[in-house]
Amino acid sequence: MTESPCIEIEGLTRTFSHRIFLARRPITGTIALDHVNLIVEYGEVHGLLGPNGAGKTTLCKILATILLPTAGTVTVCGSDVVTDPRAVRRRIGIVLGGDRGLYGRLTARQNLRHWGALYGLHGTALRSRIDELTERFGLTTRQHDRVETFSRGMKQRVHLARGLIADPELLLLDEPTDGLDPVAATEFRALVGQLRAEGRTILLTTHNMAEAEQVCDRVSFIDNGTILDADPATLSALVSRYERIDALGVTEPTRARVSTIAGVERVEDLPDGYVRFHATDRPAATAVLRALVDAEVTRIRNSEPSLEEIYLHLMGGQRGMRVD
Amino acid sequence: MRLLLTGAAYQLRLLRRSPGDLIALATTPLLTVVFLAVVEHNGRPDLAVNAVLAPALIALWGMSLLIAGDMIDAERATGTFEVLVATPARLWPLFTGRVLVVTVVSLLGLVESWLVATVVFGVPLRVAHPGLFAVTLLATVLAMSGHAGVMTSLFVLSRSARIFQNSLSFPFYVLGGVLVPVALLPAFLRPVSTVVFLSWSADLLRDSLRPAAPDSPVLRVGMVLGLGAAGAALSWWLLSVVLRRARRTGSIALGG
Amino acid sequence: MVSTWWRVGRASAANAFADLVVIYTPASWVFGWLVRVLAQVAFYALIGTLLESPAQQRFLLVGGAVTVMVTEVLLVCASTAWERQAGTLPLLVVAPVSMVPVFLGRSVQWIPSALATSSIALFALGPVFGVGWTVGTALLAWAVLVLTCLATYLFGFAVSMLVLGFIELRNLVGAVVTAITTAISGAVVPVDFWPAGVRFVAHLLPATYGLDALHRLSREEITFTILSNAGLLVLVGVGWLGIGASLLAALVGLGRRRGTLEFP
Repeated sequence: MTESPCIEIEGLTRTFSHRIFLARRPITGTIALDHVNLIVEYGEVHGLLGPNGAGKTTLCKILATILLPTAGTVTVCGSDVVTDPRAVRRRIGIVLGGDRGLYGRLTARQNLRHWGALYGLHGTALRSRIDELTERFGLTTRQHDRVETFSRGMKQRVHLARGLIADPELLLLDEPTDGLDPVAATEFRALVGQLRAEGRTILLTTHNMAEAEQVCDRVSFIDNGTILDADPATLSALVSRYERIDALGVTEPTRARVSTIAGVERVEDLPDGYVRFHATDRPAATAVLRALVDAEVTRIRNSEPSLEEIYLHLMGGQRGMRVD
Repeated sequence: MRLLLTGAAYQLRLLRRSPGDLIALATTPLLTVVFLAVVEHNGRPDLAVNAVLAPALIALWGMSLLIAGDMIDAERATGTFEVLVATPARLWPLFTGRVLVVTVVSLLGLVESWLVATVVFGVPLRVAHPGLFAVTLLATVLAMSGHAGVMTSLFVLSRSARIFQNSLSFPFYVLGGVLVPVALLPAFLRPVSTVVFLSWSADLLRDSLRPAAPDSPVLRVGMVLGLGAAGAALSWWLLSVVLRRARRTGSIALGG
Repeated sequence: MVSTWWRVGRASAANAFADLVVIYTPASWVFGWLVRVLAQVAFYALIGTLLESPAQQRFLLVGGAVTVMVTEVLLVCASTAWERQAGTLPLLVVAPVSMVPVFLGRSVQWIPSALATSSIALFALGPVFGVGWTVGTALLAWAVLVLTCLATYLFGFAVSMLVLGFIELRNLVGAVVTAITTAISGAVVPVDFWPAGVRFVAHLLPATYGLDALHRLSREEITFTILSNAGLLVLVGVGWLGIGASLLAALVGLGRRRGTLEFP
């Protein structure tokens, strides 16, 4: 018998209705999540990638038991978020981006003690857990300083330590690097990398491609409340589907000829003088390569598209500049 | 003068959007109920005048000082104070215009307590000397604005002054004789209450509501205006200190 | 459960006292806050002077002392709103224990401060306005004051749960509830002064029972009524704790349905 997954989402829908003051019935409004299915296995770092307003935070809130689904079932660590939220809460940790969620006037250590008490920790166990976490996240020297005196990056480390205080089976990170400067964001990702190495299950939402690429085992795209291609096989197919070949010194006739090859979707001029041929599949890419070599073009490079390109490919058509 | 009006118009718009600033006006009717209940319970209708004027004066003082004291801090929080300092405009009329609006709006407290007296308690109030009443009210508004302006700058200049913001309320309601005339205070407090313009205003307002001819009204209105002018001069000087400091050091907080 | 509640409440109280030391230094507490509070009590007692009635002077002094205690304890409305402003509400919901001890601990800083100021008002300023205490009445009065303070804190907890839904009204609600308490709970006039409807509301307020007992003790009237008032204080306090806990549960339930438990 195989172990059931850490997160199992089936047909999850959440709508938000706007209630007009004194009106008897709410007016049905936006659909934040629309029949979403998602599975995250234990030990996996799963990225949920999408533009702002895509439904990432709504999904995170439902997993964290602070928002009820409109329809569908959500199971976290074997417990249902609707019928048994308390069991879920004991097993998850949560870290939010942004500036809030800590007590500014308390020291880092006092903050951790506060949240530890809320997770039922006390005495020696709590003290040694705090020692361990402050040590691990480089907070030891500043553990007795008030959090309001911390930089954003330091605050985010306290957040992460807070999320891990009860050693949760699942860690939810909602836009954890939002608003961090690049150095702090890189440091934070390195910490997440450590957690991944020790096999912790993490769901991370982000609108940052590089981040997802760097720290996640798997990535799901979310937009307009719909999850696109949660299946890793489909995703890797997508990655190989969109191949591009860059070439330097392509003559006009060659360019015209290559662009008529079946499967060549688009030709684009790059700033460095290269011409980029976008192929929709591997055979097309091979055909392009052959045609270029035949035309005695020698400066050729070939690379897989980044997540960002796939992302724009999937979203760009409908959303334009919404990626930010 | 135009700056004064600009400040006034701005403050009026601000007040409409910040209901939190109007707390004093929310508790005024309740305070009137408290005082009138005491007066009625003790069978002293002659003191209804005190009971009605006190909540109004408390609203005037409390609201003016609270909002004026926060004025520059609020500008600094939104980052607009630096922009204001950089404009060629003289800021004293601008801030005075704003303080004046707050003071005038806080006079609504008088309307409220008057309504509570007539509607809830059925206490008829007659203004025996309408001229004196109107002149005193006007002088009080001016004096109040002068004093509130002091707070605008004082709180910025000294953090420790701000900590004592709390003590600006009841100690002054006692010294200002807003309910119990200062004549009934212990003798050692009287010299202090003489320089609190509120004590002159409160006595004058009560006298103007009572039939008996008031004693030397011109001199007493003069005291209200004189103390008000002293406050205004102080507020002008303090603001100039604030501005000099802002331009010299790039920051206006003294710390401490 | 009791030990968990205690530990959570104590952890939350760290927050309360961290706020207190930012708000006051010992000097500003004495020369700022205490002076203001004593002036407020004197303001009420002086009404007795105006009425030329020593009995009223004593009555209003006791009323004033309890009023300032209520004023300060109801700052719980403001400090509860600070918790929501800190953006911690969703994190608290996610934590596996009840939020009730979190909020009960979050504002305890007002209790010692309120007890100190109102005690000084009763026992130091009181004699200035003719309120005499014997050791016996003073000890009983202090016990009643502590009970009234705790019961009012639980009442304030329930009120602050309403404020949690409308945090921009935090100061307004605190001020209005304080003013209503001053008017109807027997601080300035006996509760009997009011019509039946108002009297009913007055008997929901802990201050009403505390004031009745304190007025009696200030007249050196030691009767069984004082004990029954103490019992009623406990009862009313526990009642408000239950109402507060239910309001909190309702707020979280509503938030989970409507999505109003915002992430920061």
